[in-house]
Amino acid sequence: MSDYHDAVVQLLDVTKGFRRDKIEIPVLTNTTLHIPRGDFVAVMGPSGSGKSTLLNLCAGLDRPTTGQVIVNGQNLGQLSEAGLSKWRSQNLGFVFQMYNLMPVLTALENVELPLLLTPLSRSERRKHAAAALRIVGLEDRADHYPRQLSGGQEQRVSIARALANDPVLLLADEPTGNLDAHSAEEVLELMQSLNEQFGTTVVMVTHDPKAARSAKRLLHLEKGTFVQADIEALEASR
Amino acid sequence: MKYLPLILRNVFRNKVRSIFTGISIAISLFPLMLLYAFLDLQDDMASSTAQYNRVAVLHEGGLAGQLPIAYVDRVRRQPGVKDAIPLSWFGGNYREEKTQFAQFATDPKVFFEIYPEYACPPDQIAAWQSDKTGCLVGSVIAENKGWKIGDKIPLQGNIYPVDLELTVRGIYDGPDTADRSWLVFHFDYFDESLKEARTPNSGNAGIIMLRTESASKMSPVMQSIESAFASSDAPVKPMTEKEFGASFLEMMGNVRGFIRMTATAIVIALICVAANTMAMAVRERTREIALFKAIGFNRNTILGMFLAESIAIGLLGGLIGGIGTKFLFSLIDLSSVDPGLGMFYVPWRTALWGVALAAAIGLFSGLIPAWRAANVSVIEGLRKVV
Repeated sequence: MSDYHDAVVQLLDVTKGFRRDKIEIPVLTNTTLHIPRGDFVAVMGPSGSGKSTLLNLCAGLDRPTTGQVIVNGQNLGQLSEAGLSKWRSQNLGFVFQMYNLMPVLTALENVELPLLLTPLSRSERRKHAAAALRIVGLEDRADHYPRQLSGGQEQRVSIARALANDPVLLLADEPTGNLDAHSAEEVLELMQSLNEQFGTTVVMVTHDPKAARSAKRLLHLEKGTFVQADIEALEASR
Repeated sequence: MKYLPLILRNVFRNKVRSIFTGISIAISLFPLMLLYAFLDLQDDMASSTAQYNRVAVLHEGGLAGQLPIAYVDRVRRQPGVKDAIPLSWFGGNYREEKTQFAQFATDPKVFFEIYPEYACPPDQIAAWQSDKTGCLVGSVIAENKGWKIGDKIPLQGNIYPVDLELTVRGIYDGPDTADRSWLVFHFDYFDESLKEARTPNSGNAGIIMLRTESASKMSPVMQSIESAFASSDAPVKPMTEKEFGASFLEMMGNVRGFIRMTATAIVIALICVAANTMAMAVRERTREIALFKAIGFNRNTILGMFLAESIAIGLLGGLIGGIGTKFLFSLIDLSSVDPGLGMFYVPWRTALWGVALAAAIGLFSGLIPAWRAANVSVIEGLRKVV
């Protein structure tokens, strides 16, 4: 499947469940997954299949009930909450469906946010943020506030923010879910080019088969386990 | 410091709410500042007069008692005493005014020996000393009343059944902490008026104010005076000028305790108001907080950012309320509104104390909301989005 030694994400026999009213509801069951460096994986599946839980586990936002999650060589189970925060700031980039930009900050300042956690000086942070905005093609919108941007532009700013700290892994949760077809295409092209040009590993959760097509690989989750799937079969089944 | 721009942007993201919270803190600080300024002024005056080694000699029974005027010379002769004067509170009404200002009958020849911090041109002092019905007024009260040299000041007796007709012969000035709202006049004129009215109070002084030769002599002088008059018809109780000033506050009851109680109630109310503002901010920004945590901001950083935001809102109110009150009362003189208040201004330390108090209100009001922000679940917070 892939070279385990070069895997950015490794889930080893991971089970994750939630307790509700004393009942354990399984979300992921004995899941093992290896995502190699430079991969672009789309994760699809019906609601409640465990897609977001998978993303949360990869980000260290949640801990597995059993099993291990190793990202970029780091066993996340060995890190404290503060350690996870620091690790996330150095290794991960997030792209959300709702963009999650700070309305009181300009595009450039939003991109600069994760860099506040680094020892970079203000001018260095600005330089990095401007470079990230240039990559997403929004250098001319640096001083614009989110309310002055279109949905597609907002998402591109959020991608620039995710890129600012040069992450090894980009986690995208329904990045095109709120966009029109044209903007969605632009965002997907951008993510593809980041993956191809910079070798950034991308894990994208999506409901949209068109979005999934931009990925190199498709993972399909059904009731907490991965099942074999390809885009054509998926589209045909719809 | 690198988070400061972000914190300030958040303080003003809901301008109306932040400004109204700041204003509510400022308005509540206003009466608090006045009360504390009043106490601070008493302390300032007491400490500024300490260098003059003054001792007030009262009747053992307190201010209601009177001391025979002959005691002034006997006190003057005590070893270690530099000089002494009688000070009798007249307490008369000026024209139609119902509130009284400080009016004392004293010895014009020795007055400046006892109060060397007061300054007055020599020709005015001489004019006052040579005119039995002349009086000297402080620069503050002279300005408030619009008095100038030569003006007639009729005082209607309230405590004593005599009316006085005084003429302004001089206007004294002094440092900021000196009381410049007195009117002082000849004891002889006062006493003669009492004799003419055949009142039993003539021949008596309210208190005797003396100066010792040095600070070290204050205690022995007080002891010797107390024992010298112990077996007389009018035994005395000497006290330092500071103690004498404090006794006026004590007469009003536990003023400091009352002020502290009022302050505590105001502060608790303000903490609740500001805490509500911060709690709303946290609720509205759950999604953003979750994002911050997701991208690597740790719990302590978020706690610190929200506390700093809360302190900033408190400081906003503190600057308006604290510094604003200071400047407002440098423009408005309360004693012109109510002469009974004497001199009033807000010392810098009171203003800065107000600012610090407002910052503390911000800190305490932000504790629970900031703790809640720091503990927002990233997954729950982000679930609001996806």
